[in-house]
Amino acid sequence: MAAQPASAAKATPDIDLRTIILPIVAIVVLIAYFTWVNPLFFSSANALNIGRQSSVLLMVALAGTIVILIGSIDLSVGALVTLTGILVALSVDRFGVLGATLVGVGVGGFVGLVNGLLVTQLKVPSFLVTLGMLSVLSGVANQISQGQSILFMDSTLPDLVNGSYVLGVPNVIWFALLSTAILTIVAFRTKLGRYLYALGGGEIVASHAGVPVTFYKVLAFVLSGAICGLAGVMLTGQVGAGTPTAGSSLLLNSIAAVVMGGTALSGGIGGPHRTFLGVLVIAILTNGMDVTEVNSFTQDIVKGFVIILAVSLTIDRSKYAFIK
Amino acid sequence: MSQVTAGRPEIPGGQPVQPPALELRDISKSYPGTRALSGVSFTLRRNQMLGLVGENGAGKSTLLSIINGTVRPDTGTIAINGEAVGFGHPTEAARRGVATVFQEQGLIPTIPVFENIFLGREEKFSVAGALRRRAMIAEARAVLDELEIDVSPTALTGTLSFGQRQLVEIAKAFALARVYPVEPIILLDEPTSALSDHEAAKLFDGIKRWRARASFVLVSHRLADVFAACDELVALKDGQVVDQRPVDSIDETGLHELIVGRQRNAEYYREASQREPGERIVLSARNISKPGHLRGVSLDLREGEILGVAGVLGSGKSTLAKIVAGAEAPSEGEVSVGDNTLRRGSRRDAIRHGIGFVPAERSIAGIIGTDTIDWNLTLPNLKQIGLGLLGLISPSRSRALTAEWIRRLRVRAPGPNVACRTLSGGNQQKVVFAKWLARGVNILVLDDPGRGLDVGAKEDIYALMRDIAEKGGAVLLVSDNLPELIGLSNRIMVLRNGQVSAMIDAPKHAKPREVDVVSAML
Repeated sequence: MAAQPASAAKATPDIDLRTIILPIVAIVVLIAYFTWVNPLFFSSANALNIGRQSSVLLMVALAGTIVILIGSIDLSVGALVTLTGILVALSVDRFGVLGATLVGVGVGGFVGLVNGLLVTQLKVPSFLVTLGMLSVLSGVANQISQGQSILFMDSTLPDLVNGSYVLGVPNVIWFALLSTAILTIVAFRTKLGRYLYALGGGEIVASHAGVPVTFYKVLAFVLSGAICGLAGVMLTGQVGAGTPTAGSSLLLNSIAAVVMGGTALSGGIGGPHRTFLGVLVIAILTNGMDVTEVNSFTQDIVKGFVIILAVSLTIDRSKYAFIK
Repeated sequence: MSQVTAGRPEIPGGQPVQPPALELRDISKSYPGTRALSGVSFTLRRNQMLGLVGENGAGKSTLLSIINGTVRPDTGTIAINGEAVGFGHPTEAARRGVATVFQEQGLIPTIPVFENIFLGREEKFSVAGALRRRAMIAEARAVLDELEIDVSPTALTGTLSFGQRQLVEIAKAFALARVYPVEPIILLDEPTSALSDHEAAKLFDGIKRWRARASFVLVSHRLADVFAACDELVALKDGQVVDQRPVDSIDETGLHELIVGRQRNAEYYREASQREPGERIVLSARNISKPGHLRGVSLDLREGEILGVAGVLGSGKSTLAKIVAGAEAPSEGEVSVGDNTLRRGSRRDAIRHGIGFVPAERSIAGIIGTDTIDWNLTLPNLKQIGLGLLGLISPSRSRALTAEWIRRLRVRAPGPNVACRTLSGGNQQKVVFAKWLARGVNILVLDDPGRGLDVGAKEDIYALMRDIAEKGGAVLLVSDNLPELIGLSNRIMVLRNGQVSAMIDAPKHAKPREVDVVSAML
């Protein structure tokens, strides 16, 4: 994949260099190992494969990053991708690609709004709100689809997502990279970004500095939801159908990617550029095990241990009063 | 200071003397950037209650932590019952009978009282891994009965009142000492801070009874506690013992002076550059009330004025600062700047009208430790560094602004992109000030701005305040530190139980004495 996206990594609140070096070391080691086992791993064709396989994951992880940055968590991301993916499949024939995208992003944003309002107004911890929302959304997705894939006639969407208009790189990869770049700029160069970091780093400090805390918290959830909606559009375009199980692996992998990249679950540290690295680690690991013919059950076991190991090396323990 | 003895001294030709319960000699402890304790020595005689008094940051907490083994001193020795102990671990302290009753309680609310009493020492009741519940309950009851504490051992700890839980903690200390068996040395850290007067009286009654079988060290902000319960007191100031003496040899005012009484240094507070306030009232508060905190407090702040607010803990002075700054909403009353009445409890509105706020709890309310100096300083100043088509923040302008303020306030840091948590307290505080000065506020509300800072940093901050006043800014200075209040303020408003009890003028050549302020506080 392309080099680390845009903008001022210099001015970030990263303190511990280790947290940025580690994912890079992991990436290099993984690439070397898989290439050694199967030289075909190291090819441009496989690089594009990795990109295709992880574009939607990158979108979801970016969505998760925004909420984790403010010190909350959004567990509904995977289910939301599934639901919006199904809604896109249902609406694309009638409303066209643009209309279906609006449906996906709109529903995503609305769900985010509900999450955000529940967290800020009812003061229920985001972990519980979004855990409940996960269940609600999965239920709705299954209800609508009756557990079946939703097919559609339209071919513009799959063409748009899977086509390669620039440099032979599939558009879906460009979308994900562009999103990463935009969000990285938002994180470091806009008021919104600075406020998100401030909320995660010290909510009281932010409120004393005049930051409208509630508004920006809700906005973080809305953004997360809208980006998941976009991910739903991409997923449905990629698969060529809306599928009720598509988003199930996304939640766990996205959180693993976010944390592995170095965004602290306690908030205020990290960012979209870091998540990009984390996704790369997960994507290379998954693809590499496929290419080296590790069976899928073993893959889960390995991935689980790698995540625990990586997180134990990268998290900033000084931010946790207790390790629970 | 009292004579410090080691070992088991004999009076020539007489009976062996009971060694003191606890004897500290030459205890010193430094943390990066601060010297918390230097050369502290004192003696706790057996079956006595010793009061440890001092300002915030005088070193009381560090000293308690050293006695109970959670902090290892850099130098010095501790002897318990005449035996030197090598502390640095809480279990050794516990084995010698040292127990701490913490401010933030050390009991688990979700388990019954008896389990808390024996927490961590259940092995005595263990048979093949299972616990003899009934034996535990019986022993817990015996301890509670012996101490005449009216709490059921099987009650769920969380259902007890705060006062009752405190008694359970004390019972726990006695139960612990019984195991080894030693006479307990119980360290009470602000035991009455959450108690009603009635509960506090009950606690001290109990302690009087239990003193025959234990020795106590009491740390309390309430000087009344010290007089009610202690035999002797040790006054700490800036990490040093200034006096150890019997309680009945001093009165409350004398004690207060002992604690705060460093010589006020006119130079230190830049008294010569104190200006006469202007005529124009820049901020006024009318009839501010908040149940349990403030009742009908009004004030006027003039241009160029530093208005001090004094009061003991719980007088409502901190709440007043928050309300004036818009960080907390009053239930009644209003704050206005010029002709504009501010929205209650809105920091945004207050900032719009030029009110900067330096809160007391720097690490949670003043500074974002994980963020850089740059990001902290520009947080309320993003408009100044927004540039270009999309209103994107300009990192170079951001850094330039920060670098300028680092230079102006002499913040000691390698650069604007250093995480604030790596800075010393004084430099962090300067960043908090810079955040508001960079915004060009003309009113500053300061809540205990010198807390935890070393002398040099304090001096810089005092000079800064003078500078602000000189330029026509106004400062509301809330502080625990009397010399600071007297030295810096034009006038001092004294709060007692949420009401204004005095307004004392403090012009530069006729500063009030500490006693004058203290008598209005108590």
